Amino acid sequence: MKHRLFRDRLFPRFLAAIAVTLFACAGFALPAAAKDAASEEKVLNIFCWSEYLPQEALDKFTEETGIKVVYSTYESNEAMYAKLKLLDGKGYDIVVPSTYFIEQMRHDGLLQPLDKTRLTNLAKLDPTLLNQEYDPDNAYSIPYMWGATGLMVNKKFADPATVASWSDLMRPEFKGRVILSDDVRDVVGFALKRDGHSMNSRNEAEIKKAFDFLNELKPAVRVFDVTAAKQAFISEEVVIGIIWNGDAYIAIEENPDLAFVYPREGAVLWIDSFAIPKGAEHKDNAHKFIDFMLRPENAALVVEEFKYSTPNLEVRPYLPKELQESRLIFPTAEDLKNSEVTMGVGEAKAVYERLWESLKAGK
Amino acid sequence: MIRAIRMRVMGGTSRFFRIAIALSSLWLVLFALAPNALLLLVAFFTRSDEHFVTPVLTLDNYIRLFDPTFLTILWDSARLACIATVICLLIGYPFAYIMANVRPNRRPFLLFLVIIPFWTSSLIRTYALILILKSKGLISELLTMLGITSGPVSFMYSDFAVFIGLTYTMLPFMILPLYASIEKLDRRLLDAAKDLGASSWRAFVHVTVPLTMPGIIAGAMLVFLPALSMFYVPEMLGGAKSMLLGNFIKNQFLVARDWPLGAAASSVMTIALILMVLVYSRVSRRGVRNREGGRGSGGALRSEGGMR
Repeated sequence: MKHRLFRDRLFPRFLAAIAVTLFACAGFALPAAAKDAASEEKVLNIFCWSEYLPQEALDKFTEETGIKVVYSTYESNEAMYAKLKLLDGKGYDIVVPSTYFIEQMRHDGLLQPLDKTRLTNLAKLDPTLLNQEYDPDNAYSIPYMWGATGLMVNKKFADPATVASWSDLMRPEFKGRVILSDDVRDVVGFALKRDGHSMNSRNEAEIKKAFDFLNELKPAVRVFDVTAAKQAFISEEVVIGIIWNGDAYIAIEENPDLAFVYPREGAVLWIDSFAIPKGAEHKDNAHKFIDFMLRPENAALVVEEFKYSTPNLEVRPYLPKELQESRLIFPTAEDLKNSEVTMGVGEAKAVYERLWESLKAGK
Repeated sequence: MIRAIRMRVMGGTSRFFRIAIALSSLWLVLFALAPNALLLLVAFFTRSDEHFVTPVLTLDNYIRLFDPTFLTILWDSARLACIATVICLLIGYPFAYIMANVRPNRRPFLLFLVIIPFWTSSLIRTYALILILKSKGLISELLTMLGITSGPVSFMYSDFAVFIGLTYTMLPFMILPLYASIEKLDRRLLDAAKDLGASSWRAFVHVTVPLTMPGIIAGAMLVFLPALSMFYVPEMLGGAKSMLLGNFIKNQFLVARDWPLGAAASSVMTIALILMVLVYSRVSRRGVRNREGGRGSGGALRSEGGMR
């Protein structure tokens, strides 16, 4: 009898419940999509790297403007790009791509031009970081955060004063204790710099030569993963290798034996910028947000939390003394000599990718 | 069993069963068949910079898979997955055997222990493994405290760490099918083997293992295939020093934006899956035939066959 009860009475109800749930989900999704953009609702959909916007700043923004921030995250430029491309630039109001992805997305028509008259704090930005090749006149993007990928070394294993070049990764005492990034452009970038070439080289011979060096270096490498670098250095799993300056700052706080070096052949620089996708539904709010984050006191919150460099020239007075004086956060011109920003490499990308696969697959 | 259900469905109130079957078929077609069919289709298309793919048919993507780089990647992945499967089997079989032989009222508790790890994301559990294996981590501190080692030791970024990670993550998938088949095993057959003079070992090799072969193969499949494409464990614990099938596919879709090549590479996995299912069905069918025919006509054997 029990079976009967289930079959005849409960099971149909169960099905009905599923159907109701499905319709309810569809019902919630539809009005949001159908809403017209004329009167902008108080929402801002941000699509950004994880741990990249301080919660304090987001709360402050909501408090000030009444605009609710919805923060979705991605782990790589590639993932963000693929998603926006498939959605045809819809669904998000702010994205934070790196240099060569701005170039690519602009080219693909995935971004919309910014209304600069609404960005009142633009004049506070460092002119040397503006008007770059990837986005002339910053028509589509406003720098948010930047940094250097440089070398870190543990003082217990080598005197940091003797470490000045990317070639030092090859020193026999570091064998098996080296960390590299798992990003093809980061790794080949420094190998190209080491040879004195541009890290955005499209010359196949130059790229091959850089890979020859990397193949030679590979047996010394313990890890390919720049996001794990901080932890690996702190626990002394590795003693030398590639790290982002912000992570380096945090690692040194934890383990004072560590030191960061800007290699003399030049560091690999990155700039991440705010941009508004083509199909953004809340572009007024997006402009408000960008201008809000350009205010020095808000930009200071970002530096305090993530320890990366800021393009904002008026942030320093808002920071505690030790951050103000850090060369990791405010590198000198000498530190950045020969450094370069990662750019697109066009057709040569296939060469990079092919050689990278064979580097990784090789023994 | 299935026939019995079908009989019931045909007569009387079959409407809701039909709806249920229609719903689940719809679900499978929409979310399993359609994506896989699309993937297979894309594998024969041409790459495009503008729209990821253009519908120009080609076999080029499969030809490109014969590149030595990809073959190395495939070989490395298969080797890793194979070793992980063997380790899982060596640990999982005794575990399942003990579980099937304890007092029946204790079994739910042991099963519960096997299932508990599923309550936490495997990614988070892999991070937890890092805390245990790393230099100055849990094991390292313990060894130092016991005076076995003088300084911190690390197990991270090695093949050893990768196998620990893979075994830990995949073990339940091996234990569960093994347990199911060992539990079904008719103990009287083992008694009969012993009566006829077989040692415990012989009885195990010639009776227990062949009769639980479907469980062994099911477990091996459930471990081998995911291990083949599980890229984050080797990446996080092994230091990403070699590229595996999962990384290769991910790279083609995201970094290189070569969807057709990625689709072709992932169809290799689908083919491996189909081959293994074929082997499985053949082995389990032979198992039934052996039990029904070859070994005679004991009542116990017949009840086994009758289950199907």
